[in-house]
Amino acid sequence: MPDPLRLALAIAAKDIRAELRSRTALQSALVFAALVLVVFNFARDPTVLAATDLAPSVLWVTFALAAMVALNRAFTVERENAALDGLLLAPVPREALFLGKLLANLAFVGTVELVTLPLFMLFFNVSLGRALPGLLGVTALATIGFVAVGTIFSAMAVRTRFAELMLPVLLLPFMVPPLIAAVQVTSRLLADRPLSEMWGWLRLLALYDIVFVTLCMMAFSAVVDE
Amino acid sequence: MLPETPRNGEYLVAAYVIATVILTGYWVALWRRAKRVMKSVTGEEKT
Amino acid sequence: MTVALAQAVGIVRRGLVLSAIGLLALGGVYLLALRYTPVEARQGLAQKIFYLHVPAAWSALLGFSLVGIASALYLWLKDPRLDRFAAASAEVGVVFSAVMLTTGPIWAKPIWGTWWTWDARLTLTLFVFFLFIGYLALRAAVHDPAERARFSAVVGILGMLLVPFVHLSVYLFRTLHPQPIVLKPSAPSLPPEMLTTLLVSTLVFTLLYLGFVTARYGLALVDEAREEARDAA
Repeated sequence: MPDPLRLALAIAAKDIRAELRSRTALQSALVFAALVLVVFNFARDPTVLAATDLAPSVLWVTFALAAMVALNRAFTVERENAALDGLLLAPVPREALFLGKLLANLAFVGTVELVTLPLFMLFFNVSLGRALPGLLGVTALATIGFVAVGTIFSAMAVRTRFAELMLPVLLLPFMVPPLIAAVQVTSRLLADRPLSEMWGWLRLLALYDIVFVTLCMMAFSAVVDE
Repeated sequence: MLPETPRNGEYLVAAYVIATVILTGYWVALWRRAKRVMKSVTGEEKT
Repeated sequence: MTVALAQAVGIVRRGLVLSAIGLLALGGVYLLALRYTPVEARQGLAQKIFYLHVPAAWSALLGFSLVGIASALYLWLKDPRLDRFAAASAEVGVVFSAVMLTTGPIWAKPIWGTWWTWDARLTLTLFVFFLFIGYLALRAAVHDPAERARFSAVVGILGMLLVPFVHLSVYLFRTLHPQPIVLKPSAPSLPPEMLTTLLVSTLVFTLLYLGFVTARYGLALVDEAREEARDAA
């Protein structure tokens, strides 16, 4: 039996290729993220609130919302193509299936985040410089958390009538702890604070990721199997 | 001298009233649902 | 009427009677709170909201934990009774959360001067409320009973495990950003009248919880029994 990890990578590769061909999820999420940034700019008074004070929150709210758009589109497209049903018939271990979906979703959301970041720097006049590696790290950690729970919830939401409403309602409470941690770390990174001040938050993020990736992997079968 | 005890009775009343409304309201909702079910069950039997 | 249906109706009746007794007992609690307990010197009459707010919070949290536990057991044992119980517990939990989330700010305004603060306890109660709502919304949106049971069970378990993370992140957030010191809702040592009233109130609220959940469980059972009777006919 093929190694589950390779199976997961194969599933992820298939999804990524499919998305690259149609690009629907990616495009919607990118446009959405850009629009959110624009709206945020008009939502504040630049003479009162400095960009650096608000920047971490703006960035992470944008990332969170864009992730939801990407997740929703990704599963809806697949549902329309009934691709999942074919996979389910094969004796693919559900954990590998989840991991594959997770990796593909991470690729989508990660791409959106990578494109949003320079836009963010441009619109808010924030220079990242030395903070960049740390920022990429915390973004990776928090995104894994969102997307793990988001993958299993979008698998559920897509089977309901109001999928676009259902996913945010279910997912938003779960995004809060990684969001809080990510904003805290980001604001310290931008202020050039020492690593010791971020350690607690980073550990929280790592713990969240481990717990929820594991749980969602185990629970995935309950969602996709009859 | 001890500070005077604040006069905030209206909050007390508001809270107790709201709690009562919610809890009895829910009981009534359950009861009405039960009544509706009983009526349709006996209604089905008559047919 | 089939036997199953009759049994279900019996459960609903028992639940309604139990919760009706609970409501009457609640009236007794009001009397205790208003007449028997002393007026707290620093907080005034509004402090007495404590006798409703704390037991409501306890019931809401109880309801929520039971949803989580029933969900985990359901995924393991696949017993539909567990799913029915989880649904009932969630609905009743929302009701108690509503009591908690309304009495809380009404109490906070005269005491702390603000309707809301993001302290750890309040934030957690808000979260539990949102998780309940999500859980119930999902149940309403899925029609196949087996699928609904499985999906809600997953949300129930994940929700239960989210709570410690929310608590931890809010706690960490607050220790870094010290908020203005907030008056503790109860004096360091509760006078006996207060303690007794609180305990009685908690018992009454637990009784209400049991009664409501029984009735709600019964109603779900009735719906299922009628479905079966209709299918068999």
